[in-house]
Amino acid sequence: MIKAVGAMADLAASAADNGDHQAESRESESRMVRVRVLRQDIAGGESYWERFEVPYEPNMNVISVLQKIAAQARSQDGRHVAPVTWDCCCLEEVCGSCTMLINGRTRMACSALVDKLVVEDGEEIELRPMSKFPVVRDLVVDRRRVFRALEKIEAWVPVEGSYDLGPGPRISPEEQEDAYPLSTCMSCGCCLEACPQYTKIEVVRRDDESEADFDARRKAAHDSGFIGAHAISQTVLFNAHPTGRMIADERMEALTSKGGIQVCGNAQNCVAVCPKHIPLTRSIARAGRAATVWAIKKLFDR
Amino acid sequence: MSQSSSSFLERHQFLIYRLFSLAGLIPVGAFLVVHLLTNSSILAGDDGRTFQSRVDMIHSLGPLLIPIEWAFIFLPMLFHAAVGFVIIANGMPNVGSYAYVGNVRYTLQRATGMIAFAFIVWHVMQLHWLGQPFGGGRFDPHHAASSAAEALKPTVVAILYAIGVLSTVFHFANGLWTLGITWGLWTSPAAMRRANAVSVVVGIGLAAAGLGALGGMRSLDVVKAREAETWMEKQKQVLSVPGAAVTPVPIPSPAK
Repeated sequence: MIKAVGAMADLAASAADNGDHQAESRESESRMVRVRVLRQDIAGGESYWERFEVPYEPNMNVISVLQKIAAQARSQDGRHVAPVTWDCCCLEEVCGSCTMLINGRTRMACSALVDKLVVEDGEEIELRPMSKFPVVRDLVVDRRRVFRALEKIEAWVPVEGSYDLGPGPRISPEEQEDAYPLSTCMSCGCCLEACPQYTKIEVVRRDDESEADFDARRKAAHDSGFIGAHAISQTVLFNAHPTGRMIADERMEALTSKGGIQVCGNAQNCVAVCPKHIPLTRSIARAGRAATVWAIKKLFDR
Repeated sequence: MSQSSSSFLERHQFLIYRLFSLAGLIPVGAFLVVHLLTNSSILAGDDGRTFQSRVDMIHSLGPLLIPIEWAFIFLPMLFHAAVGFVIIANGMPNVGSYAYVGNVRYTLQRATGMIAFAFIVWHVMQLHWLGQPFGGGRFDPHHAASSAAEALKPTVVAILYAIGVLSTVFHFANGLWTLGITWGLWTSPAAMRRANAVSVVVGIGLAAAGLGALGGMRSLDVVKAREAETWMEKQKQVLSVPGAAVTPVPIPSPAK
């Protein structure tokens, strides 16, 4: 992941001072994109708003606005400030790393186009870090809980071994079609951010605590919280896979442990905000059915 | 690890939440349906005779009524409410940012749950004999319609009842729909839409029954109803005397 740092900022800022922008057309010179960013200098620190103004260009997305902010490293009132930090990678809505709150709603910054934002929500663009995860700095958040949930439900096909297992079982086209949408999940966390049942867990390291102890305490805290729609959907995906199914019971055990599927409150925001349009509520209902069957099996088959 | 801090409730969260969900339907929801349909019999237009006979039927359980009430109504309802408050406390509604229909319903489900709880506590205290030490308990099973009608006379009471009944019915109908998702009865978006239509019909039907009962009670001729109830009461007394005739009207005995 790229963290925009201010190394190039001074260069770019001085370039702008040199008057290069005068060569640009009068229209783009007059039009500025105004941005309000909720910043935070350090994990656990105070947050504060800072306003920026960058020259408009056609087809800008929020990432390119942030790049311009990093380049000029100046707030709207002309103060020299540290560039805003953010996460991004693929820039084509498949990696899931640039999730943030844009005008109050969770979405990917790379696919948030300035022209549309201005039409839909007015002149100023508001950027905030995700509210359900601890802020590392500015728009960068610690999303380890997202991945911890995937670990908890063992979201993989268990094929590790020291010998050749041979070819895998065949999967019918129908099953493939069913599974494919679920496999497009990029762990962006939009479903979690919008979920009213998914609440922030922030574990702060104690002064006398070793890194290992802190890690264990954080994982335990994450494990007791809601696993979220993404992990529930991945349970469905891997329990539908002929090889993945081999550890289906372990996944069901995790899915029905504390913070499991039962915490879902059926608000269905997850499916509404998912940038990949994954049928998350269908997955939740299917996982609910599997959990019902599994609980009955557990009760009577032992 | 926080093994020491994981309580019984935490270890059995899945079971407890599923029992909570089930309790909302059986017995609490089932009772709500029976209760509202029984009450709506006040609309029969016979000065509360049908309603009185339904109440008599329930009260024919005699001393069994109290344990049945506690086992199938009060305790499941208190369990459902207690877990419900925990769920509400652990959620963070966000309709302001995400004003989707499902999210509005999520928020309403919690709001109506709390309204329903407050309403039911008040309702029980006002009419059920449990409320007698607190100056309530105004429902008289021998004068079912007339005593209920008098308790519901004040306009403020009627308005609060309308709000309470509608909240309870919404909570049940919407809960019916979410219960089906929770247990995995309807899984596809199309099935969810169909189930939603059924829930809406159930909700509208129950709301009509509940509000109809409220309106019927308030438009009841209390004097006439009391006469009818007193007559029915006398009939019962005659019937309950051992060795008395099968009906109060003497008929010639065929076997001589």
